[in-house]
Order: sequence, then C-alpha cells, then structure tokens
Amino acid sequence: MEIQNFEEKLVKMTKPEVIQLRHQEMLANAISSAKDRSVVNWWWLSIPLYIIAALFMKTAFMPDTTLISNIHEFTDKEKYSSFFFFLILPAISIIINLISIRKIYFLSGSPKEMKFLEVVWYNILMIIISVLILIIYSF
Amino acid sequence: MKFPWFKRNGIFFIPSSKVGWIIFCGGVVYAVYSFIQIDSKSHSVSDTLINFVFRALFICAVYSLIAYITSRSANIKEEH
Repeated sequence: MEIQNFEEKLVKMTKPEVIQLRHQEMLANAISSAKDRSVVNWWWLSIPLYIIAALFMKTAFMPDTTLISNIHEFTDKEKYSSFFFFLILPAISIIINLISIRKIYFLSGSPKEMKFLEVVWYNILMIIISVLILIIYSF
Repeated sequence: MKFPWFKRNGIFFIPSSKVGWIIFCGGVVYAVYSFIQIDSKSHSVSDTLINFVFRALFICAVYSLIAYITSRSANIKEEH
C-alpha cells in the first residue's frame, strides 16, 4: 500500500521547470563582454595602426627610406610611447582576447562548429592585428 | 550613481545618461581645443591633420575605456 501511495505521489509531483539556464545567462554575458572588450581594443590598437600608416606614407613620399628604418627612427625619437603602443598595448590585447575566447569556448561546451568562430571573429581579428604590430615592431 | 552611463552600438559607445553626455561633451571640447592648439603651431594643413588625427584617436581610446568600465559596472550589479 505504501509503495502504491508513494508511486501516486511521484506521479503527482511536478518537475521543477527552469525556464532559462544560469549557464545560458553566463554565456550571453561572456559574449557581450567580449564584444565590448574587443571594441575598446580596436580603439587602442588604431593608434599604433595609424602611426604605421603615417610612416608608410612617409616611406612612399621619401624613396630613400624604408618602413622599417622609419619605424626605427620613430622608436628612437619616442622611446616610451613607442614601447607602450607597439609592445605593451598589443600584448595586453592578445591576452585579453585570448581569455575572452577561452571563456566563451568553455561556456558554450567546447563546440567544433563554425558558429563559434562567427561569435568570436572580432576577437580573432584583434589578435591578428596585435600580432602584426608586434612583428613590425620586432624587425 | 545610476549605471550604465553608456550603451555600445557597433564600435561606438553612445551616452545613455547625463554623466555620459557630460563625458562625451568634455571629449569633444578637448578635441576642438587640441585642434586649435595644434593648428596654431603647425606649418601646413597636412601637418595639422596628421597631428590632430593622432590626438583624436587617443581621445576616442580613452573615452571608449571610460565608457566600457562604466557600462560594465551595470552588468556586474545585475549579475549579483
């Protein structure tokens, strides 16, 4: 009898329904935060990119010089600012974007789909730009 | 203080409160002041523009950082 009652109770019991998973909310926050961060990164990285573009234009108008020699001249003239814009800034950008991508990757259950790349493509672009700036500076 | 001060729209942070608009206007005023200052010292139009664009980008970068921090603090409050 007791077992029957228990079974009836079990049938009557309703399952707790969770409309929105906490995990989903965390993933949405992580994606939103990563996009915000990549926008800030873009504005900061636009400064060294602008300097490179200006030096590139200088190279085009002065045939005797090369882009690398112009960058060397600039780094000699502006030691601290060039160190900040060409080394520290891209390095911080790479670290921040890698952390953001890693967080989204784990929260979305380590997917092997192209959709994941669609979500984090801007962060990947920021990493590529940062690496290019570091390569140009290291020559 | 009420957060968020800014809302992101694409690659721009748009002010969404009074404090946000004050910061935005401060940035614009400083950019205009910088332009006048650079223009008074430069020798040509290109000289003015080259130096001003650098200053303007720096202002935008600082503004975006402030906007990011003040719009993010709202998210943190909502999470807790």
